[in-house]
Amino acid sequence: MAGAFGFKGCQKIRGPQIRSLLEAKDFFLFDCDGVIWHGEKAITGAAKVVNALIRQGKNVVFVTNNCTRPRENYVHKFCRLGFTDVMLEQIFSSSYCSALYLRDVVKVRGQVFVIGCDGLRRELLEAGIPCVEEADDPDATIYNCALAPDVKAVLVGHDDKLTFLKLAKASCYLRDPDCLFLATDNDPWHPLSGGRILPGSGSLTAALEVASGRKATVIGKPSRFMFECISSQFRGVDPAQCLMVGDRLEVDMLFGSNCGLDTMLTLTGVSQIEEAQEYRNSDLSTNHSLVPDYVVDTIADFLPAFEELEEQSN
Amino acid sequence: MSGSKCTRLSGALVKQLLDSVDSVLFDCDGVIWRGDQAIPGAPQVINLLKKSGKKVFFVTNNSTKTRKMYAEKMTTLGFNVTEEEVFGTAYCSAMYLKTVCKVDGKVYLIGSNAMRQELEAVGIQQTGVGPDLISGKQADWANVPLDPEVKAVVVGFDEHFSYMKLNRALQYLTQQGCLFVGTNRDTRLPLEGGKAVPGTGCLLQCVETAAQCQAQTVGKPNHYMFDCVASQFGVERERCLMVGDRLDTDIMLGSNCGLKTLLTLTGVNSVADAEAHQKSGCAEKQGMVPDYYVESIADLLPALQG
Repeated sequence: MAGAFGFKGCQKIRGPQIRSLLEAKDFFLFDCDGVIWHGEKAITGAAKVVNALIRQGKNVVFVTNNCTRPRENYVHKFCRLGFTDVMLEQIFSSSYCSALYLRDVVKVRGQVFVIGCDGLRRELLEAGIPCVEEADDPDATIYNCALAPDVKAVLVGHDDKLTFLKLAKASCYLRDPDCLFLATDNDPWHPLSGGRILPGSGSLTAALEVASGRKATVIGKPSRFMFECISSQFRGVDPAQCLMVGDRLEVDMLFGSNCGLDTMLTLTGVSQIEEAQEYRNSDLSTNHSLVPDYVVDTIADFLPAFEELEEQSN
Repeated sequence: MSGSKCTRLSGALVKQLLDSVDSVLFDCDGVIWRGDQAIPGAPQVINLLKKSGKKVFFVTNNSTKTRKMYAEKMTTLGFNVTEEEVFGTAYCSAMYLKTVCKVDGKVYLIGSNAMRQELEAVGIQQTGVGPDLISGKQADWANVPLDPEVKAVVVGFDEHFSYMKLNRALQYLTQQGCLFVGTNRDTRLPLEGGKAVPGTGCLLQCVETAAQCQAQTVGKPNHYMFDCVASQFGVERERCLMVGDRLDTDIMLGSNCGLKTLLTLTGVNSVADAEAHQKSGCAEKQGMVPDYYVESIADLLPALQG
């Protein structure tokens, strides 16, 4: 898909081109890990970029598949890392959106069996959604364990306390075709700083899909639902006004494409430009949805454009 | 081999089939027993087959017992069987790692004590068996200490499966040259009491997804388990019958190896399942259509007793 400035896609853009883009768009969606920070370290210049966008009156939201923290924790993290003025309402995590999905779309009546961490449970509880108690009866084994009554959904996300017993219970609940099967996201692995990786929610979801013979409904990127949450909260968002900035082709670029947004790949995270080029050159047209419209080395590349914009308004 | 498929085995056809084979391979769960109960008539079938001079072997994807444990269970249930006649995936995976992969070093094992024992019996050391719960923070998990002697990750059924085990397996698999072997892909594992829980296939898919690569699998329908039997006992494919209850593992193995195949209806699949594959027109699915079927292997008794 060609960007508004005549490129065939997957083109690195610089100063004046970025400035035109910043003028044309008024809604910026940022992924977090690998885009604005790496773990506990902000990407150089990222805080300045975000603060400047907000100062310029642009709408800025953060869209992350990371389901391990409640949104309040994210607010503190933003503050700690120098991103001043980021508010709760600007943060959309897959755990928050899973809670919204259960509350507003499904309108779930009954309990939810959660395979996930505290951050996920807290978002559900805050949305008023009853979760099955996490702690297993100490005597419970795979040969003999009690199931909770009235479980209407199974939700799987990143869970560092995953056990075989949880998988077994979840697959029992999923035998009921009326019990929903949801996943916060499908990321097979998460990057940590230093090039290391950890198993992601996608691997747990895969285990449960095999166990149950069913496919999960995925809430997070690249599914459209998180954009629908954003749009609903901001009372209607015009996709043409948006720019999705991310670092993972299969997650962020595909998300942007699925929602009709222009997409920008930043090279400070997971995907390399060569991978994007391969998708662009692919014979499979479905791969073209993973190709970013624009590419930058880092979002700090926006900074010169701001300096010019600020000079102009002075 | 008869041209038609999925024929009900009865009457004179039973003796005809039995006379045409020298070896019979049986799956276990759903074929000769269910949990800890023998299928009625099954011990007599096995014992009479052996008495009549047939070689009888057991080929199971269940990795939770050693061949010795299986032989003990069989003896308790009235089957006259020796250890050497049993081929479970714990034993076959150890053989596979030793003789095919020629693994030189340790194995990181997500599996049972039985697997540990079978590995040790062929001289392969393992690390990882037993409970392994998470501790510390994310940064600690990614930097979990790795044993430099580990050259392979092996996944079998493990009731102690946890995120930490998944994590360790992933860290080993990111190392160049690390082998990746799974015992089998069955989605359900039948337990002794008759219940079924998620099978090894789930755990394997979990690790494969995190590591974004596929494991080599040892169990049915892969032909390796047949190769194991054949190499130890000189089995002729044309004169061999595979008896099972699962179309995608037992019957498929039989087809892959050119054996005659018999579906028994005391387990997972039905005749309708087999006919659906037959009608599908898909070439791969034809491998899952058995030559014959019986309600239970006890249906072989009249021919054996007569």
